[in-house]
Amino acid sequence: MNVTQNWLKTYIDFDFSAEELADRLTMLGIEVEAIKELSTALNGVVVGKVTTIRPHPNADKLVLCQVDIGEEDTLQIVCGAPNVREGIFAPVATIGTDLPSGISIKRAKLRGEESHGMLCSEKELDISEDAAGLMELSSDLPIGTGFTDALGLDDTVFELEITPNRPDCLSLIGVAREIRAETGNDIKLPEVNVQEDDTDIREITSVTIDAPDLCPRYAARVIRGVKIGDSPTWLKQRLESVGIGVINNIVDVTNFVLMEYGQPLHAFDYNKLGENRIVVRRATEGEQITTLDEEERKLTPEMLVIADATKPVALAGIMGGYDSEITETTCDVLLESANFQPSSVRATAKALGIHTEASYRFERGTDPEAVIPAIDRATQLIVELAGGTVCQGTIDVYPGKCELGQIQLRPERVNFILGTELEATEIKQILIRLGFGVDTVQQDNIYQITVPTFRRDITREIDLIEEIARVHGYDNIPTTLPKGDIPVPKPNILVEVRRRIKNYLLASGMMEAINYSFCHPNCFDKIRLPEDNPLRDALKLQNPLSPEMSVLRTTLLPSLLVNAQHNHNHQIDNIALFEMSTVFLNGEEPARIAGILAGEIGVGVYGNPYKSPDFFDIKGIVEGALEVCGPTDWTYAITDEPTFHPGRNAEVLLDNQRIGILGEAHPKVLENYELPYKAYLFELDLEKLADAADFSKRFEPIPIYPSVLRDLAIVVEHDMPSDLPIEIIYSTGGDLVESVRLFDVYVGDQVQEGKKSLAYTITYHSATETLTDKEVNDLHDKVVNRLNQELGAELRL
Amino acid sequence: MKAELEAIQAAALEALKDVETADALESLRIEYFGRRGKLTDVMKGMGQLSKEERPVIGKLANEVRASLTDAFEATKNALESEHQEQKLKAEAIDITLPGRKPAYGKAHPVMQTLERIEAIFTQMGFQVVTGPEVETEHYNFDALNTPPDHPARDLHDTFYLTDGHLLRTHNSPVQIRVMESQKPPVRIIVPGKAYRVDYDVSHTPMFHQVEGLLVDRHVTFSELKGVLVSFARQLFGDQTQMRFRPHFFPFTEPSAEMDITCTVCRGEGCRSCGHTGWIEILGAGAVDPEVFRAGNYDPEEVTGFAFGMGVERIANLQFRIPDIRTFYENDLRFLKQF
Repeated sequence: MNVTQNWLKTYIDFDFSAEELADRLTMLGIEVEAIKELSTALNGVVVGKVTTIRPHPNADKLVLCQVDIGEEDTLQIVCGAPNVREGIFAPVATIGTDLPSGISIKRAKLRGEESHGMLCSEKELDISEDAAGLMELSSDLPIGTGFTDALGLDDTVFELEITPNRPDCLSLIGVAREIRAETGNDIKLPEVNVQEDDTDIREITSVTIDAPDLCPRYAARVIRGVKIGDSPTWLKQRLESVGIGVINNIVDVTNFVLMEYGQPLHAFDYNKLGENRIVVRRATEGEQITTLDEEERKLTPEMLVIADATKPVALAGIMGGYDSEITETTCDVLLESANFQPSSVRATAKALGIHTEASYRFERGTDPEAVIPAIDRATQLIVELAGGTVCQGTIDVYPGKCELGQIQLRPERVNFILGTELEATEIKQILIRLGFGVDTVQQDNIYQITVPTFRRDITREIDLIEEIARVHGYDNIPTTLPKGDIPVPKPNILVEVRRRIKNYLLASGMMEAINYSFCHPNCFDKIRLPEDNPLRDALKLQNPLSPEMSVLRTTLLPSLLVNAQHNHNHQIDNIALFEMSTVFLNGEEPARIAGILAGEIGVGVYGNPYKSPDFFDIKGIVEGALEVCGPTDWTYAITDEPTFHPGRNAEVLLDNQRIGILGEAHPKVLENYELPYKAYLFELDLEKLADAADFSKRFEPIPIYPSVLRDLAIVVEHDMPSDLPIEIIYSTGGDLVESVRLFDVYVGDQVQEGKKSLAYTITYHSATETLTDKEVNDLHDKVVNRLNQELGAELRL
Repeated sequence: MKAELEAIQAAALEALKDVETADALESLRIEYFGRRGKLTDVMKGMGQLSKEERPVIGKLANEVRASLTDAFEATKNALESEHQEQKLKAEAIDITLPGRKPAYGKAHPVMQTLERIEAIFTQMGFQVVTGPEVETEHYNFDALNTPPDHPARDLHDTFYLTDGHLLRTHNSPVQIRVMESQKPPVRIIVPGKAYRVDYDVSHTPMFHQVEGLLVDRHVTFSELKGVLVSFARQLFGDQTQMRFRPHFFPFTEPSAEMDITCTVCRGEGCRSCGHTGWIEILGAGAVDPEVFRAGNYDPEEVTGFAFGMGVERIANLQFRIPDIRTFYENDLRFLKQF
């Protein structure tokens, strides 16, 4: 909501500069989001009075004016405006003025007659689009004063962010009340004095509330014989300065009072109301209304309408009806000032998609006690600006009148919550400035607080404590550190597993990715999941932003493939990414880690070239990730998961339970993601890994006796797994085999077809003695024999 | 004989000056010190000297020998040094060739920021707790004092799931879950993802929050200030000023937003801070009594405070990425920058 400094000053005195005011309001909780200076570009324009007029000797459409601008001599100014006349007050641009519309005022001769300045229209001053004639000024303005000064155009607009709990601040007077809390100065309410005629309003209209639950109060006044026209400049200026469009004098008054009191008003054309009366009721099934914006709205029975004898004429608290709106021909006006139940207005506005200044305020809650002051103020202004007479009395149906809220406040509780040392009297002072009634119960130990009707957000002691805190100033509350004990945290293995794996993957050269939790449902097709795969059972969003973000991920792999595709499309082909995140599966949110290697990985400089990753790169990364968490006894098994190459994948098993999968992406998956090279993927279940994690390392003695290394190359069947010989070597050597390391695999000319050569380095070592050559040779021979007997392995020489 | 010795010495020293190679040095050494060497010959002739002359000449001969030995040694060392220098010169490499740096990865920039935030609160005794991202209306709104027709619900554009659940719009539901499962004192932070229907240069539909909660028998608003000021000093530096402004959240009362001096203009006022000199970084407040009741805590027995901050927003105070959606494209050219 926008307010201006000058407008605020009509309700309360204060001496703050614009910056100070913005700062004070912000520190009271009314955040000033922007400050805008209104035009100061009209220097040189002064208030002038046309004293005499005579015809221009050489031009029919021009006249020669003598204009008083408060100096000794009057100025002769040539003018052609249709509304120029003797006695008119108008803005005068003096010689040397540069107007914002681009005109520079110089001494000039117009058809032979001297002109010492210019009498201006609103358009020439860039105030509005009105170029029809001179801008008429009020005759009580002091002649010769600066134009902007005289009209209060030098002003500052504040854009305020009003939080949803403070509808009372959605008005000038509401903001002025906050300034009162800050300064203690009194509020200056407008003086309202309505002159009524002899006709009793009750004789010519009535108000019936059929839905008192949704309409706690409805007041109406009737003004007859008005003349619809433009509003005067001051009113237009006020509305335009806060960004409200100008319509006609009646509507402008209702908007002005809305801004002033925060009470939305509506003006009906009295003669267009069926039987000239008002019924506040729920809409009936199938009822329709055409609203002011000329949209036809279908209504439902939960919606509250303002109706006449037969049909709805307004959406209560939201928007008026087209048929009963104020037009140029309106003569008699029925003015509505009412209070509506917030959630009903909110539901209707939401259902119909209409949001107006009125609905914005009613949704948040307006002050039922503002109904009468606002309607009287508007009535007075209408008569002032549009003429007419006011029928006697106000119809005021008030079924929802409530008792004022009462709250007990313990002053010591204020200090207990805030950590302050406020005196009870300071607390009392703050509350009084905010408009609360304060009565003492039990010698200052408890205050009985009466809540004004405009603060319906205050219902509890804690609400009052917040009020005291913000007026006392958050800056004035001490800053201390907590005194309480620090609770002993529970150990969290998952956090540790995450930390270790992440550090490890980063050290292995993989970059961390973060993807949205949403994905396109076709990602399951892209990774070739069969129709019955449980991963397809993804949660769907009711209101997704786009199909690409419409279901929740059940696996991280599609996101990483999309990342690879994105990078490849941008000529980045060194893809080594991992992501750690939860997925959404079977009503649970298991933690996962997944990674991808594709394109060319490594550093890629001279001496450290890129390499294309292969199956064993991704396998090695997974093995390292498992090792840093402790387990050593995992196994692999090939799977028929269709996401992967059927011969190049493995599930990772711990205690025969799958904890993850790794492998080469199936060529069709690569095609689906438009990747021109192989991609290697893994995904691990972090919770299962955390269950198996073991961080309990124990010291093992550093070997005292020397080890003996022996290499061994054997030729075996091509499809024999390379870890079979290793098992035999360990089981043969027992404690004396410290380690077995596969260092070469060879297939080619030197080896018979259908066979391969495997080369191992065996480290023999004893913890109790230095092994002799003979002992090692005997053991090594035993190993060779067993490999030969059990696997048919031939020693390759 | 004395003259002979002196002539040998002079000649040898003169000859050494011209020696340029190890081989030449060796030849010269043999010429003087070899079995038939000039000095050796003179030494051999010592026996023929008279008794009186022998000690005198003997002493002189030894001196000449010692001085020449030193001179030969010195020349040898000089030649060796020169040789090594030349060898090293020949071994020179182009030091501008690239270092063989092992490939290393980098944590995602949002995670780097999140981890810094976590570390600061962990040091202050806060425990890291997580909670579900798919939530119920109850935990996300109702239990947090935000009933269905509350206008505050407009502040959060919520993603709903077709099964009636929703994606949490903040990490605050974990407050209730922790209160339900744990007795006070509570001192936790909740890092994690939250979701709102929002997609533009400064909003992503998924974002990260760090939520905090401290509950004990007597926790004051001044302690909330203390913890958050301490946090902001550690994260943004000692020079940073903080201020607390009243604000509104349904689940805290009194509520506040914390601003820090603008990181771009240092408080002078610029476009980034809307010419105010301040940048909002988090929301906070004393836990609302209704929230305590929803978590089965008695608001007369305990008090506390909660806070929440957006990680992307804080990360971007440092990184200044014009479109924060870039965070989640995972473009490697982007990820490698941080």
